[in-house]
Amino acid sequence: MIEQNLILILVLLPFVGAIAASTISVNSRNAAAWLAALVMLGGLAALSALHAQVAEGRVPRAVINWIPALHLNLSLRVDGFAWMFVGLVLGIGLLVVIYARYYLSKTDPVPRFYAFLLAFTGSMIGLLVSGNIILLVVFWELTSLLSFLLIGYWYQNPAARDGARMALIVTALGGICLLAAMLMIGQIIGGYDLDLVLASGDLIRAHATYPVVLGLFLIGAFTKSAQFPFHFWLPGAMAAPTPVSAFLHSATMVKAGVFLLVRFSPALGGTGAWFFAVTGTGMATLVIGALIALFRHDLKGLLAYSTISHLGLITALAGIGSNGAIVAAIFHIANHAVFKASLFMAAGIIDHESGTRDMRRLSGLMRLMPYTGTLAIVASAAMAGVPLLNGFLSKEMFFAEAVEWHNGTWLDNALPYIALVASIFSVAYSLRFIMTVFFGPAPVDLPKTPHEPVPWMRRPVELLVLTCLVVGIVPGLSLGPLLNMAAQSVLGPETPWFSIAVWHGFNTPMIMSVLAMALGAALYFAFAMRISDGPEGPPLLHRLRAQKMFERSLLALSWKWPRVLHRLAGTERLQPQLRLIVLAAIAAGVATLWAGMRLAPQPQLTALDPAFAVMWAVGALCGMGAAWMAKYHRFAALVLLGGAGLITCLTFAWFSAPDLAVTQLLVEIATTVLLLLGLRWLPKRKEEIADDRLASARLRRLRDLAIALVMGLGMAGVAFVVMTRPTTSNIGDWFLRNAYHEGGGTNVVNVILVDFRAFDTLGEITVLAIVGLSVYALLRRFRPAPESAESPIQQATDAPRLKDAMFVPSVLMQWMFPVMIVLAAYFFFRGHDLPGGGFSAGVTLAIGLLVQYIATNVRWIEARLIVLPIRWMGAGLLIAGGTGMGAWLFGYPFLTANAQYITLPLIGPVPVATAMVFDLGVFALVVGATVLMLIAIAHQSLRIARIRAQDEPQPSEQAAE
Amino acid sequence: MPVPEHLIIAPILIPFVTGALMLLYHERQRRAKLGLGIASAVSLLIVAVELLNRAKGNDLAGGKDIGFYLLGDWAVPFGIALVLDRMSAMMLVLVALLAIPALIYSAAGWHKQGQHFHSLFQFLLMGLNGAFLTGDLFNLFVFFEVLLAASYGLLLHGTGQLRVRAGLHYIAINLTASLLFLIGVSLIYGVTGTLNMAHLAALIPKLPEADLPLLHAGAAVLGLAFLIKAGIWPLTFWLPTTYMAGAAPVAAMFAIMTKVGIYVIMRLALMLFGPDAGASAGFGSGVLIAGGMATVIYGALGVLASQGVGRMAAHLVLISSGTLLAVTGFALAGGSPEMLSGGLYYMVSSTLAVSALFLLIEPMSREEGGIAAMLALTADAWGLDEGDEDSQQEEGLAIPATMTILGLCFGACLLVLAGLPPLSGFIGKFAILSGALDTQVALPNALWGFMGLLLLSGFATLIGLIRIGIQTFWGVDVTVPRVLAVEIAPVIALVAMGMVMTVKAQDTMTYLNETAHALLGPVSYLEGMTAAPRVTQEPEVAP
Repeated sequence: MIEQNLILILVLLPFVGAIAASTISVNSRNAAAWLAALVMLGGLAALSALHAQVAEGRVPRAVINWIPALHLNLSLRVDGFAWMFVGLVLGIGLLVVIYARYYLSKTDPVPRFYAFLLAFTGSMIGLLVSGNIILLVVFWELTSLLSFLLIGYWYQNPAARDGARMALIVTALGGICLLAAMLMIGQIIGGYDLDLVLASGDLIRAHATYPVVLGLFLIGAFTKSAQFPFHFWLPGAMAAPTPVSAFLHSATMVKAGVFLLVRFSPALGGTGAWFFAVTGTGMATLVIGALIALFRHDLKGLLAYSTISHLGLITALAGIGSNGAIVAAIFHIANHAVFKASLFMAAGIIDHESGTRDMRRLSGLMRLMPYTGTLAIVASAAMAGVPLLNGFLSKEMFFAEAVEWHNGTWLDNALPYIALVASIFSVAYSLRFIMTVFFGPAPVDLPKTPHEPVPWMRRPVELLVLTCLVVGIVPGLSLGPLLNMAAQSVLGPETPWFSIAVWHGFNTPMIMSVLAMALGAALYFAFAMRISDGPEGPPLLHRLRAQKMFERSLLALSWKWPRVLHRLAGTERLQPQLRLIVLAAIAAGVATLWAGMRLAPQPQLTALDPAFAVMWAVGALCGMGAAWMAKYHRFAALVLLGGAGLITCLTFAWFSAPDLAVTQLLVEIATTVLLLLGLRWLPKRKEEIADDRLASARLRRLRDLAIALVMGLGMAGVAFVVMTRPTTSNIGDWFLRNAYHEGGGTNVVNVILVDFRAFDTLGEITVLAIVGLSVYALLRRFRPAPESAESPIQQATDAPRLKDAMFVPSVLMQWMFPVMIVLAAYFFFRGHDLPGGGFSAGVTLAIGLLVQYIATNVRWIEARLIVLPIRWMGAGLLIAGGTGMGAWLFGYPFLTANAQYITLPLIGPVPVATAMVFDLGVFALVVGATVLMLIAIAHQSLRIARIRAQDEPQPSEQAAE
Repeated sequence: MPVPEHLIIAPILIPFVTGALMLLYHERQRRAKLGLGIASAVSLLIVAVELLNRAKGNDLAGGKDIGFYLLGDWAVPFGIALVLDRMSAMMLVLVALLAIPALIYSAAGWHKQGQHFHSLFQFLLMGLNGAFLTGDLFNLFVFFEVLLAASYGLLLHGTGQLRVRAGLHYIAINLTASLLFLIGVSLIYGVTGTLNMAHLAALIPKLPEADLPLLHAGAAVLGLAFLIKAGIWPLTFWLPTTYMAGAAPVAAMFAIMTKVGIYVIMRLALMLFGPDAGASAGFGSGVLIAGGMATVIYGALGVLASQGVGRMAAHLVLISSGTLLAVTGFALAGGSPEMLSGGLYYMVSSTLAVSALFLLIEPMSREEGGIAAMLALTADAWGLDEGDEDSQQEEGLAIPATMTILGLCFGACLLVLAGLPPLSGFIGKFAILSGALDTQVALPNALWGFMGLLLLSGFATLIGLIRIGIQTFWGVDVTVPRVLAVEIAPVIALVAMGMVMTVKAQDTMTYLNETAHALLGPVSYLEGMTAAPRVTQEPEVAP
């Protein structure tokens, strides 16, 4: 139990600390630093409490269920390897915290820095102790994200922004590949538990998808640990504050990649593919990194490429995969972390105190800052692999592994030579760092006069350098037990005990070391001048800047090409989109019907009535004419559209559907009149559109005609087939049979509308209400085209005569008003049994009002009669809805109708249905919505009038509300 | 006498009554309307959560955890029936969760930009809820019309040249789609003689071979209508412009509009053409898979090619939509329930995140003055009547540490949409992928392609959004905008919901797993529908 909590503290404490740090006020640097340091110390305490168990070879665990359904739980485990690594992270983290306190300036938002740093530490620890490979990916991605924030900490600096973005993109790509690899591993072995994965190496290696898994996994690991060819993001990340660089380059981030390689080597390693891919990449990175490092003038640049090179070394060892190689890899992980952290901190001190990191400007600092100089010299000697320092030991082990025979392939045979070459460069760049910065004449013309930093800024470096020495001199006593503990947890409990000694005798690795040092020194002293005069990077190769290439290809891949492709694959114009819809519909029809055409039943035809045929011919001509005229002659098109509507109406009547016919007729009238009113405000048509005469336009129209013909004929054909096939039993029959005795009405259409499917009607009247409101809202902001603002020619020139001509019709129309009200009432009351109903009644009344507006003018009518259409609509909807809810009182579902005969005095028994109340709601709504649209259009004339003469009094627009 | 569960119809009636009631208020009483609207949305949330709890019953087989509501007390299949199951309950909750933040956000001034914003908003909710609840094809059409009509009005809300142009395109295309909808429904009715979905599913395996082509044609045309709403490539080009043009709270609500199309496709395709559909089993799965993947590609290209965050967000809608279409296609082709439930999780989390992003866009790209300046601009350009709209700067609590809070919210949206750990986007993506790996479908190569695409589209999202994020939050000359608490609180609420989904992932996944099982084997839906009891106990004569 207690160990479980200790592990949780280990992982969660940094995150809690991060949240706490982010709430600290911007100015309190010390509080934030103390908090961060205490968190690191707390972590170290928890870790040391776990040591006893881990040293015994047990693996403390903690499991918290997160999503058991997906086998994704917070499963954490601390084995020897993880223990050592976490210790490294927390230890160096603590030093970085102290160092950063003195490094960051007063103007920086320091608490934010510590918040990011702590969260980053937490995710790194989580990554190390994950016992579930998906959880590992979760933490893996978190380290990528948080390192993005850390690298971009000084975001005012463009280099920081670019560096952060590049780091994130490269490592996130790797993370995606890693996720894919982990998913596939999980699929192969049937679970995501790390122990299971490590135990199922044979199963994974034998699986058909092993090469894919390996490839994806390695992309993940290589991007993170900056292996060639993904190495370029790491130098870019130097734009981060130096404490961040010291942390990322030593114990965290890049080490996550090699951690993964070492951790998974039992599961995925041991094959030829693994050896070639991992060792090959590692060796290539080792040499390239060392080579480039020699030629960098920027202090941090040199160190960054040196990191790349050393990571290559560790990767190569993981690729070799023998027991000795794994031990060496783990050992070098620790050693590199220690000396690289101290070097970065030293470089930061130099930068901080002298104002530059350019080695061509720095010189003779030994005289000005002797302590720092000594520390840096010892650390870089460790980097070069000088005896009695920790770097020497792991390097010797690397040489020994390189020399040893593994599998006899060409790569195996070439290992010693490659290692030697890389080592020579490594000695040379270490030497260059020491010689140029600390020796030589005193520096001139530096931005600041260098001096020793405040003591506490140097303490972390002192401690690290001391570690270098201790490990280098008494390795067996200092790091030996931990190293063996880590190695056993990776390689298995029966792994033999490795004793690390300073002196192995005068063997091949020793010769190689001596040779490397001699040749490295010779190389440096021979070319020192030329290197510092040369460009930033190795001769010839410096032109190939991976960073630039990445940015260029990123630009192409993520911006230029997508733009081109996106434009090619899409359109923003309406017509092509509608064309595509029609084509898709044709395709859908053809795909489903083509093969089944033979299955179509023989149609049962009746003789064609010539009158009906003529009627339909007229209707079809009207329809086509409307389409034909739509572009140039809107008025004609509208009239023809009305013609087609009338034919539809006649067709309904012909086939004994009087209800539909009535409704269709009324709707036809209302819409046509409204549209005609709207025409007034449209911009004037163009007499001629020149482009229409071009050949391409003709072709386009021809193509569209063909599409229209196919669609129209196809639709007609399908409709014909459906209508001539033998009727299947359907719910319509039931409606016919049950309308009277279940619904209490003889007009089936009306019973369907207000009873059987009243819910549909409720929806549809809502639609009408919405459309009314939308049209009104739109027209309220509408401004007619300037050319339509003028009075039409007829009105302007012939105004008096026009008034006379309109006099008789207008009187007639006014007289019609009561008649239409009565007609509406008539339609309404007979609706349930005979053609009519609330909808028809509503439209009729609305037409009555419409006619009044046409007959007179807005002012005249609104002075006498104010309709508040929106109130009508609201009331209508509420009546309809309320009727439906009335059924609840009687325990019935919404909209259950009830019909009865009640006896009225004088009249006798009268059928009364609740449906009629519902219909009243429909009626009110229809009146309201139609009149609302009418008023919205009619009031345009008022607005125009006002625009024409600004000084006219304000007309009442309140009527509409 | 069985007691009908009136609560099932409440999600439709609450916004209906509220919307109608608001019409009786004067347009200037916006505060009252806002209060009514929020009250309605909150009660919708309460009702939806209650319904979700009822739908969560653990008796999958007996059909007791599915509620039916027979409107007008007419027996199935003659009347209209509402169905409440896990899927519809989940969508109801999602609608309510999106509605409350959007409404609160609108109080920052958006609702003053035009007429009847609040009524239209309520009717939109009514349409959405109705579409999720109905079990009848024609009634579905009606509710589609309700929600589309309301969306036309809301999209045009505030007018302006861009909005009117995008709005008219949107209207034209959706009317065409509605026409196809009607044609499809009529064809299906012509062949089977019914409109009830469950009844239809029962009839399809029994249809004679000669009827199948017509049925398929009907289903294909109907499906086309839904695919247009879901934004499948190449019928999707209207969508980015439309979503960009909408006012912020409207766009935030539109985040669920494509999901309506997807919901219907999921429900209908799996019910009508599931494994029990005989000769029609798996109909259309190829189109869904290919179209879905093409949509993801187009969306990802669009995300990369976008300069502004608005356009990018609109293309993110496409990625999410395409992913879900492909998941549905695979489910139809024999995919595992786990993959489908992963898809459902992804749907909820991406909808919430896109909605939050749409609300963030305007504060993120706001220069001095904010809405007030914009209102003034529109008023100027459109010659508003004097005193018609009060365009003084909205009074309210401006939040401190604006950029930090905006940045955090943006970061959370980014993580969810790019599918990066540890937020809900990652879980959804991971669930889809792990479900896909367990799947034995007819098209293994397509499945591999889809999985790769899913990961890469997330990567493209990351690249695109990080570009915008760096420009906005790490820019050199960033002027800190004045952002009101009512604008940022809804975003935080939406992000927090995503967080809850992350923490409560196990509960959510369990629910969704059962939902997916029910969708793939809708036995209790079909049987329950046939047996849904009327209040009136009379022997019914079947046709």
